[in-house]
Amino acid sequence: MHIGVFVCHCGSNISGTVDCPQTAKAAGEFPDVVYSTDEMYTCSEPGQESIIRAIKEHNLDGVVVASCSPRMHEATFRRTVERAGLNPYMFEMANIREHVSWVGRDKALNTRKAIDLIGMAVAKLRNGTPLFSERFNVTRKLMVIGGGVAGIQAALDAADSGIEVVLVERETTIGGKMAKLDKTFPTIDCSSCVLGPKMVEVAQHPKITLYAASEVDNVSGYVGNFTVQVRKRAVYVDWDACTGCGLCTEKCPSRKTPDPFNELIATTTAINIPFPQAIPKKATINPDYCLQLTKGKCGVCAKVCPVGCIDFEQQDKIEEVQVGAIVVATGYDLFDYSVYKQYGAGKLPDVITSLQYERLLNASGPTGGHVLRPSDGAEPKHVVFIQCVGSRDKSKGRAYCSSFCCMYTAKQAILTKSHLPDSQSYVFYMDIRSPGKGYDEFTRRTQELYGAQYIRGRVSSIHQHGSSLVVRGADTLAGMQVEIKADLVVLAVGIEPSRNSQKLAATLHISADTDGFFMEGHPKLKPVETNTAGVFLAGCCQGPRDIPTSVSMGSAAAAKAMVLFSNEQLESDPQVATVNATRCVGCYKCVKTCPFGAILESEDRWKNPKAEVLPTICKGCGICSVTCPHGAIQLNHFTDNQLLAEVNAICPLPTI
Amino acid sequence: MNVLETMKKCIREALPDLDMVMGWEQGFDTLHATPLFMETAEDVDRLILGPTCVQSLAVHLPSLKGKKIGVVVKGCDSRAVVQLLSENLLNRENLVIFGFGCDGVVSLSRLKKKLGALDFIESAEKKDDRLCIEINGEQQDLPFDDICAPKCLTCSRPNAIISDHFAGPQRTPRIPAKGKTALEKFEEKSLPERFDFWKAQMQRCVRCYACRDSCPMCVCRDHCVAVSRNPHFVSQEATASENFMFQLIHVMHLAGRCVSCGECERACPMDIPLGLLRAKSTEVTSALFNQEAGLDQEAVLPLLSFNIEEETIEEHD
Amino acid sequence: MPPSNDLKDGGELRIIGFLCNWCSYSGADAAGVARLEQPTDLRIIRTPCTGRIDPLFILRALINGADGVLVSGCHPGDCHYVEGNFHARRRLETLKRILPISGIDPERFKYTWVSASESGRWQETVREFTAKIHALGPAPRMTDVVSRSKDLSLEGLLLQDENGGA
Ligand SMILES: Cc1cc2nc3c(=O)[nH]c(=O)nc-3n(C[C@H](O)[C@H](O)[C@H](O)COP(=O)(O)OP(=O)(O)OC[C@H]3O[C@@H](n4cnc5c(N)ncnc54)[C@H](O)[C@@H]3O)c2cc1C
Ligand code: SF4
Ligand code: SF4
Ligand code: SF4
Ligand code: SF4
Repeated sequence: MHIGVFVCHCGSNISGTVDCPQTAKAAGEFPDVVYSTDEMYTCSEPGQESIIRAIKEHNLDGVVVASCSPRMHEATFRRTVERAGLNPYMFEMANIREHVSWVGRDKALNTRKAIDLIGMAVAKLRNGTPLFSERFNVTRKLMVIGGGVAGIQAALDAADSGIEVVLVERETTIGGKMAKLDKTFPTIDCSSCVLGPKMVEVAQHPKITLYAASEVDNVSGYVGNFTVQVRKRAVYVDWDACTGCGLCTEKCPSRKTPDPFNELIATTTAINIPFPQAIPKKATINPDYCLQLTKGKCGVCAKVCPVGCIDFEQQDKIEEVQVGAIVVATGYDLFDYSVYKQYGAGKLPDVITSLQYERLLNASGPTGGHVLRPSDGAEPKHVVFIQCVGSRDKSKGRAYCSSFCCMYTAKQAILTKSHLPDSQSYVFYMDIRSPGKGYDEFTRRTQELYGAQYIRGRVSSIHQHGSSLVVRGADTLAGMQVEIKADLVVLAVGIEPSRNSQKLAATLHISADTDGFFMEGHPKLKPVETNTAGVFLAGCCQGPRDIPTSVSMGSAAAAKAMVLFSNEQLESDPQVATVNATRCVGCYKCVKTCPFGAILESEDRWKNPKAEVLPTICKGCGICSVTCPHGAIQLNHFTDNQLLAEVNAICPLPTI
Repeated sequence: MNVLETMKKCIREALPDLDMVMGWEQGFDTLHATPLFMETAEDVDRLILGPTCVQSLAVHLPSLKGKKIGVVVKGCDSRAVVQLLSENLLNRENLVIFGFGCDGVVSLSRLKKKLGALDFIESAEKKDDRLCIEINGEQQDLPFDDICAPKCLTCSRPNAIISDHFAGPQRTPRIPAKGKTALEKFEEKSLPERFDFWKAQMQRCVRCYACRDSCPMCVCRDHCVAVSRNPHFVSQEATASENFMFQLIHVMHLAGRCVSCGECERACPMDIPLGLLRAKSTEVTSALFNQEAGLDQEAVLPLLSFNIEEETIEEHD
Repeated sequence: MPPSNDLKDGGELRIIGFLCNWCSYSGADAAGVARLEQPTDLRIIRTPCTGRIDPLFILRALINGADGVLVSGCHPGDCHYVEGNFHARRRLETLKRILPISGIDPERFKYTWVSASESGRWQETVREFTAKIHALGPAPRMTDVVSRSKDLSLEGLLLQDENGGA
C-alpha cells in the first residue's frame, strides 16, 4: 500500500501541545507510509487540496489524517479522498485533538501519544478494504403514529407537500389531549375552535388515510422501505357504512359505560361517538358494556341503525402498509396520582385531575361548561390547585418537570374566576415556570387581575370534612402552616409517556430515556430525529411540551420526512456485516443476537445452512461478529483484523 | 441379558434405518478402546461398553449432520449431545441415541503415573470398585478411584440424560468425595504464581490441537480461529504467549457451552491441566447465569441472551 | 521504528481503551472540548458499539503486555443499537471473572458506562483507572523467563492424582 499521513496543527489547538512536525516525521516510519506531512488546517480548502495533490503525486491508495475527532470531520475527509478518486473507506483518522492535545499537558508525552494513535490508524488502514454503497428506492409515503395535535400537524404538512400519509390513531378519534381541553393558554382561545378545523382537514385531505382505533403491531424494513403491520381493532360497526347519525347512541340501553373522553367523570352509552366533533365521526361499541356482546341479548342499535352497519361478529384486522418514513407522535398519559396517599389516593370525589377539570370547564363537557363538583353537583366556591403532583418528585420516580402544568394551572384559575365570579382560587406551587412568549405575564395576570392566591409550598394532607375538604400545607415563603377549606381540589398531575411506549420503542428500534420518553438523535442538533434512520419524533412522546412546541415539532418532523423523500434513491451505509460463507457453519447464533433481524437463516447452493446479512437492514453494530466463534461474520470497516491490528500496533505481539 | 447384549440388540434393531451407529471396540490392547463405526450387524458384534470407553463420540456428530446416525453415549457424552442439539448443530430427527448408565472410565494418565509406562498390557478388567490389570506379566489390583478419570469422582449424572434406547439399569450418582477440587487448590495460589504456572505449562504445549479436536463443542473444525489468518487472533508460533492465547480463546468460545466432559484435558498428550481453565469458566457462567450447559435442549446460550436487569452483575458505574 | 515503542521510559504504562462510538467516544471527545485534563497513558480504539468488542481483543491486549484495558460504552438501556451493551455486559463480566484463573490481575481490566454528556465522569474514569494501573505497575509478561524451580514447585499441586479432579 501507499499511505499518506497528514498531521493537522489545527491552528494552535493541536500544535500548542503536540510537536506536529516531529509527529509527521515519525509517522513516515510506519510500514507502508510513503508520504507524511503536517498542515496548518487540514480541513480547510487548501488543506483538502493538498491531500488531493498528494494522493495524485504519490499515488496514494490510503490516507490517514491526524486531527480532530472522526465524529467531527470523518465525513469531510472521506469526501476529500473520494474527490481524488480513492475509495472513501480507505481513510482513517487519528484523534489527536480531543483525545490528545486538549487533555494532556506534557508536550513530549502528547507527541508520543499522537504518534501511537497514528500508528494505530495506519495499522487499521492496512487491514481495510474499499467498500461500496448500494442504492435503493424510497417509498414516498409517510406513516404518522398518534393523532394528537403534533401528529395532526405532521400529517397535514406532509400531505400538503404532496406526500401520501397514513395516520394511525389508537383511540376512536384523533385530537389527543387537546381535543379535551377547554381554552388554551396564553391566549385563552377555545381549544376545539383551533383544533377542530385541522381535524376536519385530516378527514377530508385526499392524501391522508386515517386508521383510527388502530395500533402498530410490527415494523420491519429500513429507512425508505418500512413494512408496518397495523392492527385495526374490532369496533363492531362497519365504519365504511356508518354515517355518524348517532341514532344508536340515543337508543342504547347500556348507559353506565365509562367515558374515557370525559376522563371518567361521566358515563356514556355502550355504543358511542366520543364527542360531536370526533374524527372519524363513527360509532364504536365498547364490548365490555354492550349487552349483546356480554349477555347475548339486546341488539337495539342494530335494529335502529338506518344503514345496518352494526356487526357484532367483527374481528381485529391486520393490514400491511409500506411506508418510507415514520413520525412518532404518541403523546403522553397522565401520572396516576393514587400513589399520593396525602391527596386522598384517588378516593375523595372532589379531588380531581386537571384534565377532568378541563372537561368540567368545557361547554361540550358533561356539565355543559358549568363548574359543578362531582360529589353533589354543587358550585364550588373555594378551589385549591396543587401543582407538581407526580412532577419533580424523586421519591415517586418522577424527577422531571412536566413543563406545562404551571401554565395550565394559571389558565384554569383564570377560567374558574370567569365561570364563578364569586370564587376564590388557591394555587400551591413549587416554582412558577413560565418561560415563553407572554407566559410570565399570563401567570402574573392570574394573580394580579384574577386574584388567585399563590402559596409556595407542598400540601401535606387533604381530608374530607363534612361536605368540604380540608387542605393542609406549608407556606414556605411565610414560613407557616396553612389550612384551607376547599370545595374542590384540582391536581396538576404530571405526565408520563403514553402507555405501551416501551413496546413501541422496541418495535421501532428507537431508544427511550430513563423516564421513558423517546430519545432524540441529538439533544440540540437532531431534536426530531432518532438514531434509527427514517423514524422521527413530534410532540410529547419525546418529552413534556405545550401545544405551540408540539406543533412546531410536528412541522419539523414532516420537513425531515420531506427531505428524505426528495431523494429518488438512498445510499446504504456499507459499514455492515458480511458473512464469509465458506467459514459459516450455519449455527445461526448470530441470527439470535442481531437486534434488528438483519440476518437470515439461509442456505447455500448445496443446501448447507448459512447465515446471510440483509445489508439494508443491518445497522452495523457488530454484535453478530462477536457472537460467531470463528469469525465467519465480520463487520465491514471494523473487522476483527482491523481492530486486532490496532491492538497489536500499541502492544506489539510478543516474540519469545 | 447383560447391558452389553441389550445394547447390541437395540443397535441391531435400529441399524437398518440408520447410516451408521457409533460405539467403541477394543483397541490394540484391553486397556484401550477405540471408536467403532457400525454399518452392518456383524460390526455390532465388536461393540464393547466399560471403563475403557473413554472417548466422547459426540465429537464426531456435527460433521455428520445430514446423515442418519446412531450414537452410544455415557452420561457425560449425552450432555454434549444435548448441548449440540440446543445449538442447532445437530438434527434430532436424524439422530438415534443409545444410552446406558456409566460406571466410570479410567484415566490413562493417572494410570501411567501409578504404573510408569503402560506397555504390554495383557488384560484389564473392572471388578466392583477395583481395576485388575495384568501388565508386564504382573497382576495389579488398583482401587478404581485412584485411576479413574477425575470427572468420574464427582459425576452426578452417570446415566445418559437423553436417549431413545437405554440399555441396562440406571446407576446411582456418586456422592462427591470430600476435599478440595483441583480448582480450589489452584486458587489458593497468588495471581503471579498462577501466571507463572501457566507460563511454564504453556511452554510445554506443542499446539497439537488435540484438546480442540476432542472437544465436542468445538465445531468450527477447519475454520477454527486458532489457524486462520482472517481473523488473525493468534499466530502460529508455538510460544507460551500464543499457546496461552489459544487456550483462552478456547475457554471464551466455550463459556456457557462447556459440558465439563473433560475430553480436552484427557486428550492433551502433555498432560497440561486444561480442565482448570474450563472448570473456572463453568463456575463463572453458572454463577452468573444460573444455567449449566448440556442439560436442556431448549436452553438459549447465556452469552446469546441477556436480561435488562442482571441480578448477578453489579452495575458498573 | 518510531520512537514510541517502549512506553515505559516516559513513565507511562500501556493502557488500551475500547470505546463505543455513540456514548463513551463522544463523552471522551466532550472531555477534550471541555479541556478536562487527563493522564496520557490511554490509547483509545473506537468501535461502533460495546457489542462489537470481542473479549478476545481484551485478552489479546493483555497477553501482548498491555498493563490495563478499559472498556466503556453507553449506559445499559441507552445503547444506540438497543441491545449491544446488554450483550457486552454479559461477555465482559464473564471475562472479568474468568481472568483470575489465568493469573492476569482482573483489576487490570475495567468496563464501565459513560454517556456522551458525561465528560467529567470520563475524566474521572481515566484518572482513576490510570492511577490504579500505575499502582499495580507493569504487567508480568508471558515472555519473561520462569525459573525452573518455580515450575516444578507447582507441578505436584496439580496433576490429577489427588482426589477431587478438575
Ligand atoms: C390539563 C391540561 C391542560 C393543558 N392545557 C394546555 C394549554 O392550555 N395550552 C397548551 O399549549 N398546552 C396545554 N396542555 C398540554 C397539551 O395537552 C400538550 O402539549 C399536547 O396535547 C401535546 O400533543 P401531542 O400530540 O404530543 O400528544 P397527545 O395530545 O397526547 O396526543 C397523542 C395521540 O397519540 C395517540 N396514541 C398514543 N399512543 C398511541 C399508539 N401506540 N398508537 C397510536 N396512537 C397512539 C393518543 O391516543 C393521542 O391521540 C395541557 C395539558 C393538560 C394535561
Ligand atoms: S456466521 Fe457464525 S454465528 Fe452466524 S451462522 Fe455462521 S457460523 Fe454461526
Ligand atoms: S452488525 Fe450484525 S448484529 Fe449488528 S445489525 Fe448488522 S447483522 Fe445485525
Ligand atoms: S472444553 Fe473440554 S470439558 Fe469443555 S466441552 Fe470442550 S472438551 Fe469438554
Ligand atoms: S477454539 Fe473456538 S474457533 Fe476453534 S474450534 Fe473451538 S470454538 Fe471454534
